[in-house]
Amino acid sequence: MASNFWTSSHYKQLLDQEEVDVVQQLDKEKGITLEDFKLIKMHMANYIGRLAQNVKVRQRVVATAVAYMRRVYTKKSMTEYDPRILAPTCLYLASKAEESTVQARLLVFYTRKLYVDEKYRYEIKDILEMEMRILEALNYYLVVFHPYRALSQLLPDAGMTDATQICWGLVNDTYKMDLILIHPPHFIALACIYVASVLKDKENTAWFEELRVDMNVVKNIAMEILDFYDSQKMITDERTNAAMNKLPFRP
Amino acid sequence: MGDGNSNSSSRGISGSSSNNNSNNSNSNRPEWLQQYDLIGKIGEGTYGLVFLAKIKSNRSKSIAIKKFKQSKDGDGVSPTAIREIMLLREINHENVVKLVNVHINHVDMSLYLAFDYAEHDLYEIIRHHRDKVIQAINPYTVKALLWQLLNGLNYLHSNWIIHRDLKPSNILVMGEGEEQGVVKIADFGLARIYQAPLKPLSENGVVVTIWYRAPELLLGAKHYTSAVDMWAVGCIFAELLTLKPLFQGQEVKATPNPFQLDQLDKIFRVLGHPTQDKWPTLVNLPHWQSDLQHIQGHKYENPGLHSVVHLPPKSHAYDLLSKMLEYDPRKRITAAQALEHEYFRLEPLPGRNALVPSQTGEKVVTYPTRPVDTTTDFEGTTSLQPSQPVSSGNAVSGSMAGPHVPSRSGPRPVPMWNESWQHSNAKGCRFPGSSAAADEKERLRNGDAWISSTTEVETLLREWLYSMQNFMRGDCASEDPHLKWGYRRNTRTQVQQNLLYKRSESYLFFLVLYCDDPAVTIKLSFAQNIR
Repeated sequence: MASNFWTSSHYKQLLDQEEVDVVQQLDKEKGITLEDFKLIKMHMANYIGRLAQNVKVRQRVVATAVAYMRRVYTKKSMTEYDPRILAPTCLYLASKAEESTVQARLLVFYTRKLYVDEKYRYEIKDILEMEMRILEALNYYLVVFHPYRALSQLLPDAGMTDATQICWGLVNDTYKMDLILIHPPHFIALACIYVASVLKDKENTAWFEELRVDMNVVKNIAMEILDFYDSQKMITDERTNAAMNKLPFRP
Repeated sequence: MGDGNSNSSSRGISGSSSNNNSNNSNSNRPEWLQQYDLIGKIGEGTYGLVFLAKIKSNRSKSIAIKKFKQSKDGDGVSPTAIREIMLLREINHENVVKLVNVHINHVDMSLYLAFDYAEHDLYEIIRHHRDKVIQAINPYTVKALLWQLLNGLNYLHSNWIIHRDLKPSNILVMGEGEEQGVVKIADFGLARIYQAPLKPLSENGVVVTIWYRAPELLLGAKHYTSAVDMWAVGCIFAELLTLKPLFQGQEVKATPNPFQLDQLDKIFRVLGHPTQDKWPTLVNLPHWQSDLQHIQGHKYENPGLHSVVHLPPKSHAYDLLSKMLEYDPRKRITAAQALEHEYFRLEPLPGRNALVPSQTGEKVVTYPTRPVDTTTDFEGTTSLQPSQPVSSGNAVSGSMAGPHVPSRSGPRPVPMWNESWQHSNAKGCRFPGSSAAADEKERLRNGDAWISSTTEVETLLREWLYSMQNFMRGDCASEDPHLKWGYRRNTRTQVQQNLLYKRSESYLFFLVLYCDDPAVTIKLSFAQNIR
């Protein structure tokens, strides 16, 4: 449901990590490894974020778009659904779902500005076609819950409004991972608060205990976030480009 | 949903036997359509068309298929369709219409939503009682309909969804079968989740059909609430009792402004003038301030809601109604509170089948089935001859005539003649291609007949648009005869077509051309005598 996460399609669609970390057969044949798969998705999340800055939409629209992109790739191959068109189209669709409609021609325009590589070239009609394919792939489930709301409710309660900026940034970065497909959003928010407490050296144990949530889950998510930051240092553009180059141009 | 075989195929669908568009692309039907037998068109709106179909594997089951047209402007799937799908995919309640399937036709990029079919709606039920039965709807049915409407609305509101466009034609009632007499709230094109809007709610256009529009909206409220739906329910409740719309204001369509003086006037006449005393936040509403002389200048006589709806002021029904029509949205009764109202605890108790009273002795009214236009296929192509004059002695005025299709979920033509058009300083000119003239003398005695057939209007408008397109050198590409926007790409001239209905047998059409330069507004109008 639109307000109750526990009865929503989002909750019902949550997956286990093992289900998310599956490279589609068609992509495997192109030599895409699990690591490539994750890299490309992260690259696309960044792409969506950069485009969004140009067309000026809110962070929630970006978050919904990235969630759509990640959901599609749990079912469809990158060979068939070229991420270079899928990513902007996810932003296009999310902008409609989040009531901040962005015109397709603007996306085409800014993509040309951002990426000179001709593989990123596409036309309005490519977006419109892809929009329908995405709708189908998503099985028409479009409501996505995000950690932001929980975050803004939890922070004052935890007496950590001074950490709003850092928590918000942490939540944004979680979209570079698949967390939104795996965990309820308020757990992700809690994990970000947890990480922020550690970074700011703030003692919050009592507050977390009072919440009566499974702290193991929260801590595990927090560990994943920290691991992600560690591993990200090793990622180079060359590495990402090598992964992208395994994808066929215009399937 | 997502049956996986929605890729286009080249096999045909066997439509209804009357579907004889041999020149049309029948051979290009996608495979998924083959699970249905198309019966015909049952309605249309700005978004596209609605069809009645039967599931081949289960002929007893009827489906309403809403086809969204792909806009030609490169806007992809309409945001309205996206909103509707998004909400309906999450919703599951007995009193809310059930989305059973979504299909995409990749060939023409159109989108189809399949719903459980409901044979009746409150608009037709009210009309049937007013024009055919000439008798009030029995108290059991009124109560059961209202209770179920509130029950569905309570579900929506408790899930942070405002419908925003409640009106009798959007409240469906199931026909014969297991769910007979069950109310289904439909048409979520304007509905939205209001828990955390990214923009003020007023920003995506003025909503709610004017007669059912809450006073805070008419006065320009920026952040409105689920209370707007409750106001509409109050108006619908009154209409179920009296068979007449409670506040029939005349809409000024040309202004993007939500302020509708005439509608407010109609409300104030019945409910009296709102006061700051009773509605403290009233003074903060934009139009209460800016239109002081209009709204506050006129003092209204004694409020007389009970006499308008013919209810004793002490009755529970009246008490509930007056709480729904409370001026202050914060004091207005909520759906949850209304369901607990004493009115529903007294005999006759509301039941699941609103159409068939549980008590014996009550006469059961048989409502007409929805008219189906069997001449229109899934492409929306009709077998009408556009050149044929529609005035050619078609004396059938009832809604049951075969090819006559009432306008359903789209904006219904509003019966009114707006004087402000005549006084506007814009260039008014009669459309060159029109040979018609308004004949004031030919008004029928029964002046309040609705347009029962859009087919006639459609044919007229087709002709008109055809001439119009020539007039605009082919740049105006409106296909939908109802309130469709078209525009000339080069000059960004927008064309808004307004279809109005005069309270007689003449129909008036307006076309407004808005240009970049606001000084250049051309209003075209022409009147057409239908019969």
